[in-house]
Amino acid sequence: MAWLFLLTYWIVAIAVASLFYALWNRGISTATGLAKVRHTGEELPERSPEAVYERDVISVRSLLRSTGGARGPVRLSLRIGTVEVDFGAGLVSEQGISKETEIGPIRRGALDTSGRTTTGDPLGLFRARRSLPERELLLVLPRFASLRAQPVMHEQEASVTAPRAGHGTEIFGVREYRPGDPLRRIHWRSTARRGELIVREFEPPGVQHVGIFLDPSPASAEAADQVARIAASETWDCVRAGGRVTLWAPGCEPTRPDEERNFLALLEWLARYPKRAAVDEPPPLVRDAIAVTATSDARLLDAVEDVRAHGGSARAWVVGEAVLESDVEVERAGLEWPL
Amino acid sequence: MAAVRLPKLPVSPVEDSAEARLFVFAGFAVACVAVGVYGQDYVVSAAGVVVAALGHYVSYRGRAKKRSVRGQVVVAGLVFASMAYFLADSAGAVFGGEMPQANFAILLVAVTSFDLKTRRNCYSSLWISLAIVYLAAVYAWDYVFALLAAAWTFCLVGFWVASHLRRMGAPGLRLPLAPAAIALLGALALGSAAFVFVPQPQGLPNGPLVVSLPSFTQFRGEIENPALPLVQFQGGTNTVDLRYRGRLGDTPVMYVRTGAPSYWRGLVFDSYSNGVWTASQGVTGYYPPYIPPRLLPRGPDHNLGTFVQTFRLLRDLPPVVDAAYPIASLYVPVGQLARDGYGTFHTPDVLRAGTTYSVVSYIPDLSAAELSRDPMPQFQPGSPEWPVGVDSRFARAAELARTVVQGHTVTEYDTVTALVSYLQHTYRYSLQVPHATPGLDPVNQFLFQDKFGYCEQFATAATLMLRSLGIPARLATGYSTGDYDPVLNQAIVRERDAHAWVEAWFPGDGWVPVDPTPGFAGLPATQFPNRWAASGLARLIPHLTIGAPPVVLGSLGALGVIPLGVGIALGIVLLFAWLRGWRRRRVIAAQSPPGSDELLRLYDRLQKRAGRRRGPPETPTEYRQAVVADALLDDVTDAVNLGAYAGRWPEPGRVKELTSKLS
Repeated sequence: MAWLFLLTYWIVAIAVASLFYALWNRGISTATGLAKVRHTGEELPERSPEAVYERDVISVRSLLRSTGGARGPVRLSLRIGTVEVDFGAGLVSEQGISKETEIGPIRRGALDTSGRTTTGDPLGLFRARRSLPERELLLVLPRFASLRAQPVMHEQEASVTAPRAGHGTEIFGVREYRPGDPLRRIHWRSTARRGELIVREFEPPGVQHVGIFLDPSPASAEAADQVARIAASETWDCVRAGGRVTLWAPGCEPTRPDEERNFLALLEWLARYPKRAAVDEPPPLVRDAIAVTATSDARLLDAVEDVRAHGGSARAWVVGEAVLESDVEVERAGLEWPL
Repeated sequence: MAAVRLPKLPVSPVEDSAEARLFVFAGFAVACVAVGVYGQDYVVSAAGVVVAALGHYVSYRGRAKKRSVRGQVVVAGLVFASMAYFLADSAGAVFGGEMPQANFAILLVAVTSFDLKTRRNCYSSLWISLAIVYLAAVYAWDYVFALLAAAWTFCLVGFWVASHLRRMGAPGLRLPLAPAAIALLGALALGSAAFVFVPQPQGLPNGPLVVSLPSFTQFRGEIENPALPLVQFQGGTNTVDLRYRGRLGDTPVMYVRTGAPSYWRGLVFDSYSNGVWTASQGVTGYYPPYIPPRLLPRGPDHNLGTFVQTFRLLRDLPPVVDAAYPIASLYVPVGQLARDGYGTFHTPDVLRAGTTYSVVSYIPDLSAAELSRDPMPQFQPGSPEWPVGVDSRFARAAELARTVVQGHTVTEYDTVTALVSYLQHTYRYSLQVPHATPGLDPVNQFLFQDKFGYCEQFATAATLMLRSLGIPARLATGYSTGDYDPVLNQAIVRERDAHAWVEAWFPGDGWVPVDPTPGFAGLPATQFPNRWAASGLARLIPHLTIGAPPVVLGSLGALGVIPLGVGIALGIVLLFAWLRGWRRRRVIAAQSPPGSDELLRLYDRLQKRAGRRRGPPETPTEYRQAVVADALLDDVTDAVNLGAYAGRWPEPGRVKELTSKLS
């Protein structure tokens, strides 16, 4: 039957044309970004305008754009954190099309995006999948609150509140020479390197340096979140009082010395907690220690005891019902927030 | 004993696209139009379209609902009713017997359109529509049908596009217009070009299994005795009278779907007297409507294979099965078939207009080389089996024959060729033959007085002259090829194609058609035309032929490696894909902490048992709080939390213990 041959040839030719169409249709690019943030939950003591905190509701804009004329169809399958976003279009112009997805209340941690675009011919006979590299869209910081009745200073950066060029023994940092500075404080190596007089600054005596030691393996995501919130709150209280904080958990890399007064940097560390390090770092040398844990971890308790052994003070927060094999002062918390 | 798990088709998604469903319906409507236009069968087609429209509406409205047992019983009942209709109309012509298969398919689509939920359902409906288009194509004899074929193709493409866009999550049917139009039109042009220019394999089918098209089995109305112009068949008396003068018409008599043009032979005559041919041999046996090859004589030793012809009669014809001979098998929708001594099949009654019958015929090797191997036959005059010799009234014709073939008597082929060539070149073809001279035999009048005539004169003269030379010969009547269209593989046979020729006996090849009429090939052997478009495979259809694919592949010659190569390449790609997936699974398994895989599998089973999956934003703890309390789920959730968040995956023994609780 000749007609069937004609139909067959047409269908085969359509399949061939579809293949070429699918090859041509690959020129579609994608972009994903944060569109807006809506704050929910209780007010935070201090909120950085560019930061996103847990329980916020965010809108993520996904964009599909064609290069060299309109193309289509295309489907974008994104995974933003734990939320899956799918949308497709038959026609994608050079101006592009976008879709906003509201996500939230959002959880603490790195919000990664990954996914793929699927293009092909309009008939669905051929398709080209392109994986979008996994990247961090944003970092969701833990919520925090003031746990101590202390006067609040409105700067998150402790460097602003901390006395500069004090007379303590701990080197605080270096700065350019100002008239009146003692000459013995000139830091000659930096002066030689920068070509101007640089002096050392010392923090005043009595400034608190707290090590907040966290549970290396909280039993659940909820417990980890609560540990991070309590640690963030303790950090906030310490930093706003002009103190320094080092965060550490057994098996995790501690915060760097230059981050000790940087509250945002400390929150970011807590946002990623528990992030295990390749190398098991020893506990940092601190004056006082606060343990925040959901389990009775031996390494954590050893670190606390070590601080006490060196004359420092120590106390602990326990999330849940765990019993610590230590006689440190314990405050207990459930999983609810605020406490 | 391990339970055998049968492979299951993946679940087909519900077709949510109204546009896709519209295209499915449109494809069906196109098929119904094709049946109406070319099959002249309107009632079922029109009713089918209306019912299917309603069915599609109902299906779309209820696409998300579960199928009810009652609804399925109703649909199944209607399907069985359609089958009953099909059987009744095929076997008993209860509803007229016109295109029962197409009507059955139309009813099937119409009935099942009430139950089109999934994409696979829509595909099924669309493919049955294609079957209807195909059945209509059997009756399509002009190029206008290409428009209907294109319309159906457009519906198929539309369904694909609409369904795919919905699957992609795209709203509506918006596409880049220019590129899509270029692709579609380019594809149609490419397909059309391929149809015209791509050579088709010349496969010779063997062992045919004929899937024919039964029409009605009961004749109704009065018996007719139609007289065809020039070649006068009289169904009751089986005679040809050379003194009869008729007229030629252009009216089509029948359509013949065939891969090879041939002479469509009807009655054969072997007794000539006073200008009248009669047949001396009567019916030798009776047969059922379908005659398989085993009931018929073996094919010629030197045959080139078989080919199929489908005849569609456009007017009432005498009760004779016109076909290419010798026949391998045939199906004629009548109660009984009779076969005469010449191998011609007769029907009990006049063959009505609209009748369709199918014949599979051998293609004897009647090449000059083959026939030249045959010696001159040695037969004695007077034998009833071998009609040789002529009486004294044709002494002058016999003398002329001897003169003509002088020097060409080494082989029978030489002799026959010489005589045919002489008649074709010496005598003139004319339809304006004067009335018969009283007392003069029409053959003598033609040979020695008028010296012009038409096929009957030429064939009769050649027959008698061959007989005078000792070569058995007889008169064959029927139709010449007609207007043969190699693209559509069909011939339109008109009244003016009625023809008469000679069958000469060759000792090694049997009865061989010989045509002494000017303007015709002297040796009208059936052969496949050497052409490009739409040949080859086309002649296998509409008849399915067992064993055809390997023959067809073989006929491709060196190009036959292409399908094989594609198959091997496909196998390698599949093997590679499987190996890659297997390796990836192995790597993932090697990277997983011991016990984690088993635990996550158990967790998955528990979610299945709970009837709800953990949502992507849910933590295991939140999921546990959301579902019905379950002690095992509590334990497993704790274990998953410990593994995922604390990095302390349980020992495989612990997982086994938890798993045993589930079972």
